[in-house]
Amino acid sequence: MEVSVMGNSQGHMVRTELAYRNLRFCCVPKNDKLIFSWRNSSVCLVGQGSRWRKAQLRFTSKAVHSQPLVRSDRLSATKRKSSDGVKLFVGLPLDTVSSCNGVNHERAIAAGLKALKLLGVEGVELPLWWGVVEKEARGKYEWSSYLSVAEMVQKAALKLHVSLCFHASKQPKIPLPEWVSKIGESQPSIFYKDRTGKHYKDCLSLAIDDLPVLDGKTPVQVYQEFCESFKSAFMPFMGSTITGISMGLGPDGELRYPSHQGKSKTPGVGEFHCYDENMLRLLKQHAEATGNPLWGLGGPHDVPNHDQSPNVNTFFKDHGGSWESPYGDFFLSWYSSQLISHGDRLLSLASSAFRDNGVNVHGEVPLMHYCKEGYAAVAEMFMKNSCKMILPGMDLSDHSQHHESSSPELLLGQIKAACRHYGVEISGQNSSVSEAPAGFDQIKKNLLGEKNVVNLFTYQRMGASFFSPDHFPSFTQFVRNLNQPGLDSDDLAEEEEITESSHMNSEISIQVQTA
Amino acid sequence: MNAMSTVLSQTLLHNYCRGKFICLPKTSNLLLKPYSLNYPFNSHPNATTFCRFKNLPTVKVSGNSVTETSTVKTFESNDVVFQETFPLKQTQREEGKVFIRLDKGKEKKRWELSVGCDLAGKWILHWGVTYIGDTGCEWDQPPNDMIPPGSISIKDYAIETPLKKLSEGDAFHQATIDIDPKSEIAAINFVLKDEETGTWYQHKGRDFKVPFVDYLQDDDNAIGRKTVFDLWPGALGQISNKLDKAEASQSKDQDSKTEFKEPKRENMRLEGFYEELAIVKEVVTHNTVTVSVRKCLETAKNLLYLETDLPGDVVIHWGVCRDDTKKWEIPAASHPPETIVFKNKALRTLLKPREGGNGCCELFTLEKEFTGSSSSTDQHSQVESSDASVPAKTEEADQKVSYTDGIISEIRSLMSDISCERGRKSKTKAVQESILQEIEKLAAEAYSIFRSSTPTFAEEAVVEPEISVPSPKVSPGTGTGFEILCQGFNWESHKSGRWYMELKEKAAHLSSLGFTVIWLPPPTESVSPEGYMPTDLYNLNSRYGTVDELKDVVNKFHEVGIKVLGDAVLNHRCAQFQNANGVWNVFGGRLNWDDRAVVGDDPHFQGRGNKSSGDNFHAAPNIDHSQDFVRKDIKEWLCWLRREIGYDGWRLDFVRGFWGGYVKDYLDASEPHFSVGEYWDSLSYTYGEMDHNQDAHRQRIIDWINATNGFSGAFDVTTKGILHSALERCEYWRLSDQKGKPPGVVGWWPSRAVTFIENHDTGSTQVEIVKAERDVYAAIIDEKVAMKIGPGHYEPPSGRQKWSFVMEGRDYKIWEAS
Repeated sequence: MEVSVMGNSQGHMVRTELAYRNLRFCCVPKNDKLIFSWRNSSVCLVGQGSRWRKAQLRFTSKAVHSQPLVRSDRLSATKRKSSDGVKLFVGLPLDTVSSCNGVNHERAIAAGLKALKLLGVEGVELPLWWGVVEKEARGKYEWSSYLSVAEMVQKAALKLHVSLCFHASKQPKIPLPEWVSKIGESQPSIFYKDRTGKHYKDCLSLAIDDLPVLDGKTPVQVYQEFCESFKSAFMPFMGSTITGISMGLGPDGELRYPSHQGKSKTPGVGEFHCYDENMLRLLKQHAEATGNPLWGLGGPHDVPNHDQSPNVNTFFKDHGGSWESPYGDFFLSWYSSQLISHGDRLLSLASSAFRDNGVNVHGEVPLMHYCKEGYAAVAEMFMKNSCKMILPGMDLSDHSQHHESSSPELLLGQIKAACRHYGVEISGQNSSVSEAPAGFDQIKKNLLGEKNVVNLFTYQRMGASFFSPDHFPSFTQFVRNLNQPGLDSDDLAEEEEITESSHMNSEISIQVQTA
Repeated sequence: MNAMSTVLSQTLLHNYCRGKFICLPKTSNLLLKPYSLNYPFNSHPNATTFCRFKNLPTVKVSGNSVTETSTVKTFESNDVVFQETFPLKQTQREEGKVFIRLDKGKEKKRWELSVGCDLAGKWILHWGVTYIGDTGCEWDQPPNDMIPPGSISIKDYAIETPLKKLSEGDAFHQATIDIDPKSEIAAINFVLKDEETGTWYQHKGRDFKVPFVDYLQDDDNAIGRKTVFDLWPGALGQISNKLDKAEASQSKDQDSKTEFKEPKRENMRLEGFYEELAIVKEVVTHNTVTVSVRKCLETAKNLLYLETDLPGDVVIHWGVCRDDTKKWEIPAASHPPETIVFKNKALRTLLKPREGGNGCCELFTLEKEFTGSSSSTDQHSQVESSDASVPAKTEEADQKVSYTDGIISEIRSLMSDISCERGRKSKTKAVQESILQEIEKLAAEAYSIFRSSTPTFAEEAVVEPEISVPSPKVSPGTGTGFEILCQGFNWESHKSGRWYMELKEKAAHLSSLGFTVIWLPPPTESVSPEGYMPTDLYNLNSRYGTVDELKDVVNKFHEVGIKVLGDAVLNHRCAQFQNANGVWNVFGGRLNWDDRAVVGDDPHFQGRGNKSSGDNFHAAPNIDHSQDFVRKDIKEWLCWLRREIGYDGWRLDFVRGFWGGYVKDYLDASEPHFSVGEYWDSLSYTYGEMDHNQDAHRQRIIDWINATNGFSGAFDVTTKGILHSALERCEYWRLSDQKGKPPGVVGWWPSRAVTFIENHDTGSTQVEIVKAERDVYAAIIDEKVAMKIGPGHYEPPSGRQKWSFVMEGRDYKIWEAS
């Protein structure tokens, strides 16, 4: 099979031979909304950044019709203040506050904060779990441990980026709030369900966003009250110590459907997660509204099982697969639009909650094999809510991929182009603590490159391996290198001038987290 | 002191700041970038570093009762809305002199070496001697009669003698060493250390050296050098070569020694001398800036008065900000005299000298309009907090307060910058390196704590294979806690040349005494016969015997059920070859490292490696363990020793010399059953008297153990030092700390403490170990004191000596010979 791919914004054409056996991923841009991918062993709109390296990329010939992207002037009109070299953030451990609401590794973190400050790092990222703060009952918030972490950060004269996590974590084990899990026991339909009837219980289904299923409140209301309580509890830190907030958007906080469940040794195609009663109801409504009521009775019947290869059944077949049919188009565009509306709901609530507090609101989008149009829709939604986009995988290079035709760099370029087009600033993240200097080189390349819209970079994540003798020295080196393109004016009055005249690519601020 | 002051601003933390004031050095164009965000270590000369925000004064706004200086008349009549004094911390360079004098002593035929310094400080003379016949520039412990009272021995190579004030109120400090010219001392080597700042002072990048023999006089770093050289100019190399050969042939040893002594004696024509050497000390000085703001009722303007006790000309670099912008503006005219506009961005005002006093001051008039009208929520809270002290203000006044609060925070962050900017300005490479070291230490600390809590994190790693943290191999080299360790050699053991074989015969006996672990001497080829100056690590033929004999004795100990520790000297290694400059720093043998393997901060050896991660051992090139190839080679070597020789674990020499985290790596790789580190430094003393509280000392040992992730134990040197004092001076109260626990490492981390009485570095022959069983260790020390540790039973024999009970506690008991 021969496919053509729009390689970059100059419209350069790349031709790649793809063998079937490499086919893991499928990107089907039918209209400007559709985002779809096969990744690893699952079907989902978007996946975890840390795992997509296994995915294979295939663009159908339809992708070629896209226009070369023209760089928008929108961003150049945006003046950004900070220009004094590169700012750095490092993620605090996921279990900084444990599931029983105590501060973990306090001494280690205190030492770590000091070290980071001495290194010249700008701040730290703190994952803040719904399941910890609002653990026992709705509206009963316990912020004290997180407040004391914020104090530690403030004392260390570092900035703080708070990630509001409305999902559960398997490792370390941080569940959803107990009262939510209890509701889930009697009402499993608050969770995603795939065709085989398996529930994904690490976050709520987007289909119930506006249903009063949580003690008479809708999840959106619950999230909103959570944000308001957070805001008032952390008011002394807002805008000073706390400079950014990420809104959790789905599994692992990312704007995506759940990927596969459990572990499966053979990477298969995965499943659509549209079989809980609420998703089915929405699908039915959509089908009826578009005049095809029969299409609303379920997901595609001819998809492979989640651990089968994409080619087992007819839906994803290359030529004449159902996905290319009007039905496939109907289903896939609905599936992806649901995700975008969900992101829109949550980001607009976060953005209105924190708008006046001098903090930037972020949302995480996994580095997935979106097609340009798919990212365009996402970027547009971010723009609408004046949010910044967090993208993981900044450390991945084409060379590091096992399959020769998978190109994270190409992908990243496309996302950046979409964001540039809509004036959305990007916060980068790495997908794992880099063992090789190559990872750092790649990050640097991504951050310092031309036409950069990467505004923050979060290095994931503080912990034992972060400070290990194998890693920490190269991190130190990385920080040092990042700052090389420093300002060379010899007096401070010129700082102000630089603010006016600086170019976009010298304005990167980096937020560092570790995964 | 340089009459110059720099005060710089920074991006301000507060978003409602309005005024920026910066003091500049008038004579310097060099202005450092104030951003704390910049990475501190880039090579850019203006690169900025972080600031330490500490001891910032709290903001107090008081509406009245402010005493004002009389310098500004117009100022007095108005309400002071804000006044605050900010500390200015600056690092200054103080220049002084070091005086070195060699003179005839009070007693006949003795000489005195005096070392003095005229700078204030807590000066320590860190010194050692070179004996006639010693090769290279190794330090040795001087004879006892040379050691001044109040000195501390640093292992076997140095003495620390505090410099004492000659008279109260005098800055001059001095220490005097008494020298017997008949002793075989070739030279006294020393460095000066200022305990206040922790800085070491060297001479021409090397130790100070006072030679007593002519052949050392042409060393670069020699003091009191004669202008005329006789017989042996530059002959050091030759001598040492000959000495080496002489030592190699044992039968002729005696002859050759006398043969070589003769010419040197002849050359010892001691002459008194007096030298002064310049010394520069960085001193932190504390000045202040006081800022007060008043509102002038007549003009409705804000009057800002600033005064400082900084000496010399002080320039204020300033501008104003409106509302919550951080943009500098130049206020409308009526600037103070001596104000110039700087690049249309700011103003620079030279402060007036203060009347009749030090320092300078200036009054600034600011327009009322620089009061912000838009208030953020933060501002409101500020206003509320200041309302309490500024009662009955109108709305406008409230705004004023919030305005001044803005200035306050602005100034406050500014002031905190001053201290760091000042520091930065005079920052030397050494300071930067100490920062790096600090980062490294902090990272190491964080690492060890994180590590200890990691396993639970890794449990579920299988589920998410890509994020999995490999579960750490748990092979703690800490044994079972019941080991009784015997040092299987002493400082003289190498003399027979067949120690391994002699030891082999004792194996069964040692086993019967209850020892479970034996510590064998360092096995490698070595410059010094004791083995602690290793050269080719893979050559295990040493003065203790051949490699085959070593394997033999290890097997023997295994047969009798004793585990064997290898003495691993990892801190330093002696080079076999010289580099282009003639410095010995290129290694031979299988690990033919070059000068990249040598730490870069010991000028003796011109290493190209990184700065040492610990203390330096001055006698040999210190290995840079931060180099990957070094660590890889050492890991391989340790594994090879485990495999080839059959060692069960390690006694790690001089681990003070490098970071414990590297040790952890080595232990991970070599998986010893038991490992013990020698972290030996001096206990704390005050006025020559050992402090009761030795927490800092044991903490350093514990920190090291921590850095190894608890994978290694450490000799409880603290307990040893305390025991010495307790036993020798009958100060048994020392054996309990303030919390009633044992005062050494054993009191804090018993499972990692390797209780330690004596080793080869101490007078080993005085201790007679009479019992060493699983639960009890007993020894009679110098026939004067008997002691036992451990819960088992021991009573000293009732025979020739009478033992009277002195004290006991948990698991120890002590008797005294009466």
